[in-house]
Amino acid sequence: MVIQDLITIHSIDLNLEASTKDEAIHALARILDKNQAISSFEGFIQDVYEREVMTSTGIGYGIAIPHAKSKFVTKPSVIFARHDTGIPFDAMDGKDAKLFFMIAMPEDGTQSHLKVLAMLSRKLMHRDYRDALMDAKTKEEVLSLLYTMD
Amino acid sequence: MKKIVCVTACPTGIAHTYMAAEMLETAGKALGVDIKCETNGSIGVENPLTKKDIAESIGVIIASDIRIDKKRFHGKPLIDVPIRKGIQEAYALIQRLLDGYVKVYDHTED
Repeated sequence: MVIQDLITIHSIDLNLEASTKDEAIHALARILDKNQAISSFEGFIQDVYEREVMTSTGIGYGIAIPHAKSKFVTKPSVIFARHDTGIPFDAMDGKDAKLFFMIAMPEDGTQSHLKVLAMLSRKLMHRDYRDALMDAKTKEEVLSLLYTMD
Repeated sequence: MKKIVCVTACPTGIAHTYMAAEMLETAGKALGVDIKCETNGSIGVENPLTKKDIAESIGVIIASDIRIDKKRFHGKPLIDVPIRKGIQEAYALIQRLLDGYVKVYDHTED
């Protein structure tokens, strides 16, 4: 299954060290950088902000999904991070974001990856699923929730 | 069962489009309305609305941050909102159509 290509145990941070939207975006992108998924940290960040000014990716329900299709992405990836108390993220409903998904897609992202992201986006709209992601105790538990595509 | 047709779309087309579609479908289920939602994402157009779907529907919800060609919805009550409203206010949008307080779309006015 393709989601295993996008998210691994190295793409998860259960304790995001950030207190602002900018810090969160940088911290998430640093994980991409560490995983060698991007060719330029600054370049990728700039593409994320370009997307962010169109509409905030703080989509409400405590979720933020900063993302970019960017030429600096060398490995299509999703980073998952959690913040227990929440960070202001210009959310549509004003609620702080606790669940973060940074999506990094190359400009020629494959259909199968995009389909996985579409399914994940749909799942995130369900409260039970969000609660399970918040309650998961270990990275392994998070990973098995993310890998469950039904 | 009453039917409502929807179109969702967003600039990158990798997440919001599907989130709004899921919310509209979930809200429709709860309100006892048959929802058919066309997603215009980076995968391309999925679940495309047919002429029959549009003809059968009591109205249209477009939740999009990009321009959608509305000509095919001529003569239908039509709500056109940014994508975030589709995600945040799916129930209210459907209820507005059910209540019948929505202006009928006339493409010659565009």
